[in-house]
Amino acid sequence: MIRKVFSIQNIFMLLLLSSLIFPSRSYAQGMCPLDTLKPKKVGSLESFKRIPVLNQGRIKPLESYAQNLLLLFSGKTHYKKETAVEWLARFLFAPRTTFNDKIFLINSPEIAEALKIEPDKHRRYSYNQLSPGYDKLKELAEAISSIDEKNQSVVDKEILRVYSNVLLFLRLSGAFTFAVPHPDFYIESAETRALLNLDNDQTKFSFYNVLEKSEPLSQVAKTLETKEHLLWTDAEKDIGRILSALDFWSQHYSNCPLGLIPTQSPENEEWLSPMDTILGGFFDPAYKQEIKALRDMAVAYWDGSQLAFDINARMFSDSVSKRLSPTEKKITKKIPLELLYNQFNFLAWAKLFYALGFFIFLFSLTFKQKKLYQAAVAMTILGFIPHALALILRISILSRPPVSNLFETFVFVGLICVFLGCILEVVNKNWLGLVVANTCGFILLTIAGKYSAEGDTMQVLIAVLNSNFWLSTHVLAITIGYAGCCVAGIMGHIYILQLLAPKSDAKNSEITYKCMLGILGFGLTMTFLGTTLGGIWADQSWGRFWGWDPKENGALMIVLWCSIIFHSRIAKIINPLGAAVGCILALVNVMWAWFGVNLLSVGLHSYGFTSGIATTLGAYVVIELLFIAVSVIWLGKKNIKF
Amino acid sequence: MKFKKKISKNRFVQFFASIKLTVICLFLLYILTFWGTVAQIQYGLYQAQNQFFHSLFFLVFGFIPFPGAQLVMWVLFVNLICVALTRFIYYSWRQIGILIIHAGLLLFLISGYVTLHSSHESYLNLKEGQASNVSAAYHDWEIAIWESSPQEDPLVNKNHVTAFDVSGLKPDQVIPIKHLDLQLTVKKFYKNCEAYTGDQSNKILSASGIGRLEPTELLKEPEKNTPGGIFQFNINKNKVLDVILYGGEAKPFSFQGEGKTYNVILRLKRYPLPFTLKLVDFKKEEHPGTDMARTYQSLVEILMDHAKREKLISMNDPLRYTDYTFYQSSFSIDKMGNESSVLAVVKNRGRLLPYISTFVTFLGLVIHFVTMAIRSRKD
Repeated sequence: MIRKVFSIQNIFMLLLLSSLIFPSRSYAQGMCPLDTLKPKKVGSLESFKRIPVLNQGRIKPLESYAQNLLLLFSGKTHYKKETAVEWLARFLFAPRTTFNDKIFLINSPEIAEALKIEPDKHRRYSYNQLSPGYDKLKELAEAISSIDEKNQSVVDKEILRVYSNVLLFLRLSGAFTFAVPHPDFYIESAETRALLNLDNDQTKFSFYNVLEKSEPLSQVAKTLETKEHLLWTDAEKDIGRILSALDFWSQHYSNCPLGLIPTQSPENEEWLSPMDTILGGFFDPAYKQEIKALRDMAVAYWDGSQLAFDINARMFSDSVSKRLSPTEKKITKKIPLELLYNQFNFLAWAKLFYALGFFIFLFSLTFKQKKLYQAAVAMTILGFIPHALALILRISILSRPPVSNLFETFVFVGLICVFLGCILEVVNKNWLGLVVANTCGFILLTIAGKYSAEGDTMQVLIAVLNSNFWLSTHVLAITIGYAGCCVAGIMGHIYILQLLAPKSDAKNSEITYKCMLGILGFGLTMTFLGTTLGGIWADQSWGRFWGWDPKENGALMIVLWCSIIFHSRIAKIINPLGAAVGCILALVNVMWAWFGVNLLSVGLHSYGFTSGIATTLGAYVVIELLFIAVSVIWLGKKNIKF
Repeated sequence: MKFKKKISKNRFVQFFASIKLTVICLFLLYILTFWGTVAQIQYGLYQAQNQFFHSLFFLVFGFIPFPGAQLVMWVLFVNLICVALTRFIYYSWRQIGILIIHAGLLLFLISGYVTLHSSHESYLNLKEGQASNVSAAYHDWEIAIWESSPQEDPLVNKNHVTAFDVSGLKPDQVIPIKHLDLQLTVKKFYKNCEAYTGDQSNKILSASGIGRLEPTELLKEPEKNTPGGIFQFNINKNKVLDVILYGGEAKPFSFQGEGKTYNVILRLKRYPLPFTLKLVDFKKEEHPGTDMARTYQSLVEILMDHAKREKLISMNDPLRYTDYTFYQSSFSIDKMGNESSVLAVVKNRGRLLPYISTFVTFLGLVIHFVTMAIRSRKD
């Protein structure tokens, strides 16, 4: 224990001394010869991708981290032929090999122009392309961040995003520099190496190599402190240079946002980067072992030695997981599940099968064969299984109910729609449920895919949402309600199409009509429950049951609209056609409540940046209204009243 | 039987028992909800609420009257009762679902009325270690007048404060305060204004040297409005003082009369609480490595006459005490690192009514649609 304290003091002393001796030396970092070098790499990153990392408040495997990081930079989860995790390994262990990778997505060509870069057709630029314009970018970003967020234009926001990405890239690129040899720590003179007990066979050392020799270093540093600069021997000058480099590095590469190493203190939940751990307490045995393992991984990556890489990665993971708190251990045990979730793109498979199911239906319109029906049933089931699996995996990975962000609402509502469709099919066995299931499943998963491109879909929750009870009651009820109204809306379309069809089968459309009303009733019930439970939640956390917040109003509008349909039917204001039109409008209403209100950017439920949706939503409403107008006029000629 | 028939033939009841009226009302409510949502962009939540939802009527373009949500809900209430009297009483047990649904909705309308009239919201801003037994309104103002007591120690002395609401003040209104032998005349009153120093020659007094007030437009967020006005105090019917009171002033204005010292201040309305609340500790936890809050917590002590107890108030877990509920609402940390916590205080007698109506209506909906589904399978 005493030794440990002494050693920790030692490193602080060392850094303090070096900063005292060289107070004002500015360090021009020379171009590293590693620029031209290429690591041999390792073939398999299996052990690397399961290393836990704390990012955005959540412990996740490096694979997920890699995907989110690349998504953040480039909007894609892979770079050329490399997977995200392969790219991340290259970026961390040999950062300079990624400086020419075109990974920075800049949507607006205006920004490229402002930074004096030739606009790229794929809108993606490399770090080396951006770095000459870095000062300009910083200047612009600083000017913009002083503007109120509401007044920032789309281009402004894009500049801020690009700037923060470049900053993040720069800071992360230094995460493993401690491990690989660098000219700052090359020691040509054998005398200096002897003085520091360094290996005499080589001249190229890393920050880590030198740091290991902190005791002889600090001894020399102490003598240097009192000695006149002119009297320094060559070896001492050499050590002076190294001390200065150590000082520069410890400042330049600290505060790196890569949380790999948990701290030893139980109160501090933060995880630190290797460099920050070195600065905070390199001589703690656990830290030392973990940093050594990381260093050896980097070396093995450069040497292409798979075995050494895997052994060290395992060793690192084991050492870290031994030190975790019980809650953290619970989370790291979920890492295999998350890797499974990443490995099989369940939702993409589900989407594919739903699409196939729908095409089989279209096919069956011309070729009426029983086998086609069976195939469509099979496709729906094949879609449903991975769809449900994805949700179950997410529930167990995150230990929370399935819906807590906008992305998850689409996946969950999709699943409920498919489920409702399946029930309809079991009851009627006339394609109706299959069509509903496949259409809803496909459309909603497509929308979900668009949202997953915005970053991590497994974020941690803000304080007010952090309540599993309300997430599993209010949120589930309201989304099930949305699902019911969506299905009713789709059936409204089907009913009208059935009436429009040249050989319309009155019996079939009658079944559709009845089922549509039944499902609408289900939707009304669940939306009502969800809305009022939301009121109760609001009463529990803010003290008012109802506050006319836009999201609350959106849900209320669905409830009101559904009850308008039911009452108009009783009052004989509308006929079945009118009810079908009403259901279609209920679907429009759901869309309004779901994302329309977020566009208003007022109120308590804003989920952030959704401005691109406005046009799509507008177009959808126009198309829907046109469809209604045309079909009502057309059916009017057929003497079917509204 | 006779009563039932008589009721059904009443023309008033017949008119209000129409389902077409229900549809019209629901549709109006639907439009109001949409309109009131979109209007929030321009007017903010508070004004939109008042115009569209709490009002009986409002004018579109300044001259077309349009019913507000409160009126629509009144009509729906009457409509529902009339339908109950003319139709529901003939319903058989098979329609029990519909009856339950509408009973729940009736309760909803009632609870809306109770909440509108019996609840009020205020807040309590406490530094760590500080205790208080009054909460302040968010944006309702009052003029408070009290006589200085001889002892200056604020912990010992208790003041008898007279306060009145300023929301309805009009110029030239006269307010007598008999037990203090004062009479107050409103000369000018602005709901939102800015205060300027200068021009002391007009002999208008003020606690902080304000010379004149300039009225400004009402803001979207009502809590950002600062009222002010010029008031004339008539002391014992012989001394007359013109005083500017402004909401932004921290100190009360003091004046002498017959050996007594009076204090007057325009301040956010205060509500006395039935007990004293002390903030022991405020804690903000973040998700590790982020700025995103995981939880906010205030450890408070409830000080009653002879006993005290502790309670941890956190997001989604308020403190309830009789009709009062205390919620974790906000917090601030000053430059010295002192933490203070803002608790929202809500007093609502009808708090449980919406809970009951939710349950009843949902139950009715389930019964109704399940029986419908079963019946349609049988057909």
